[in-house]
Amino acid sequence: MKHLRFILAVTAAVLCVSWQAQAAGVKVIANSSVSADSISAGDLKNVFLEDSDSLAGSHVEPVLTKGGPAHEAFLKEYLGKSDAALQAFYRSLVFTGKASMPKMLASDAEVVAYVAKTKGAIGYVSPDTSTAGVKTLQVK
Amino acid sequence: MRLVVRGLMTGAMLTALTLSISLHAQDFKLGSKTVQVHGFASQGYAYTNDNNFLTMNTSHGSPAFTEGALNLSMQVTSKFRVGGQGYTRKIGSLDDFRPVLDWAYGDYKFAKWFGVRAGKVKTAMGLYNDTQDMEFLHTWALLPQSIYPVDLRTTFIAHTGGDVYGRIQLKKAGKLDYTVYGGIRSFDNREGYYYFSLANGFNIESISGHTEGWDLKWTTPVKGLMLGSSWTNLTVHRAGQWVTGPFVGAHYTIDTFPNRVWAGYGDYNRGKWEFTSEYRSTLDELAIGSSLFGSSAFMYNQSTEAWYATAAYRITPKLQAGYYHSNIHIDNPSNPSDTASNHITDEVVTGRYDVNSHWEVKAEGHFMDGYGDIYSAQGFYSAWNPQGLKPKTNMLVLKATFNF
Repeated sequence: MKHLRFILAVTAAVLCVSWQAQAAGVKVIANSSVSADSISAGDLKNVFLEDSDSLAGSHVEPVLTKGGPAHEAFLKEYLGKSDAALQAFYRSLVFTGKASMPKMLASDAEVVAYVAKTKGAIGYVSPDTSTAGVKTLQVK
Repeated sequence: MRLVVRGLMTGAMLTALTLSISLHAQDFKLGSKTVQVHGFASQGYAYTNDNNFLTMNTSHGSPAFTEGALNLSMQVTSKFRVGGQGYTRKIGSLDDFRPVLDWAYGDYKFAKWFGVRAGKVKTAMGLYNDTQDMEFLHTWALLPQSIYPVDLRTTFIAHTGGDVYGRIQLKKAGKLDYTVYGGIRSFDNREGYYYFSLANGFNIESISGHTEGWDLKWTTPVKGLMLGSSWTNLTVHRAGQWVTGPFVGAHYTIDTFPNRVWAGYGDYNRGKWEFTSEYRSTLDELAIGSSLFGSSAFMYNQSTEAWYATAAYRITPKLQAGYYHSNIHIDNPSNPSDTASNHITDEVVTGRYDVNSHWEVKAEGHFMDGYGDIYSAQGFYSAWNPQGLKPKTNMLVLKATFNF
């Protein structure tokens, strides 16, 4: 019985660590003009699916990366879409005139640089990316 | 051979144009505002074993299957955006690279639940009406023709008028997107209405109409499931005269009395799978007036039921395979003894490969049974099939599309 409890505790700990690692596979950043320090997962999804362009009274615009581990983690964790489905979604809005294509950049460093200089920009990068000049939003 | 060369050259020119555009910035500044530029160019090839389809000489293989579009748009303020898109195509004798205004409108969003659009606006009807000519957005090279006929694109795809639209959050019940619209319809003298009329001996000297309707899309609490419904009232007034046959010179008018479409549809995504289905019921009563019939109009019923069901699976991030079954049934065919004229079914298998984020290629097989009624535009025209129509048609479609 003692051994069983020990095994269950270790298993739970491993699962907990791996879940945290998965959820922490991406860091959400924002321009300093964005007044909020946190964002709900639902609001984050609304911003990146162009359902909403404001957060806590601040105008916001999404910034994405063109592929990479952070991009894949973000899509899986927060948008629930594959990259192909997301691109088709954006293009269906663009080619019917309902929205603009969001900014898409080649690397985490470019995302940080763009978010730092662009009022209202919200993006995502790998957890170990330097985020000097931008604020990190906690995702609730 | 000349047609093949011409088609390939046209496709190459469009490709070169779009490649050159893509090398430059896809947006530019107008004052302090950013104008985004996007477009696509598509080249296809269609081959059928028997009947010629969609005014292409498909029984000999046809590369006359080219489309392209270019759009500009600008977010003027956080609530107001403007934009427009030009479109061109040559699909057999459907259009001849004449550029047309696809859409151009101003859009003001007062609140998430209430916005207005005014101008030439894509019509929200069913799953794909407003994106039916954006082939690169879909798994298929050809959308189910029972509901999205290529030969009637201009008539159904947009209206010049206005929309009221919005999103209503239903909390735990999901969200509801609504559109209510009204406007003037467009017609193209190189599309299905004109071709089936001429095939039956009468021309169209004037044609006009308007449309009004609504569309509701419910994103349900079930993850990946969206359900929707549309209703449209379409009016058409046509006038012309018989140009061949026993009534040459006699004038006619045709008015829809009424023409109403109801559609129900759904879209379900789970993992690498996507399933869609749509049903459309069209009540189409025509009042045909002519001195030949005296003072009373001759009533003619062209009502139909149509539906399709699709399944698509993403095998790898770049490769997707799909299948669909499409069916249209004509309630009152003009020749009931011809069983091939009261329906068209289409079994379709598709492979789509995304070369990169800009290029995709498709290979698609169609296995069709039936050819529809001669007094309607359903892809098979007697002028392109002078030898008569065979009951079954198998077709191969290849397509390559570049978008930016």
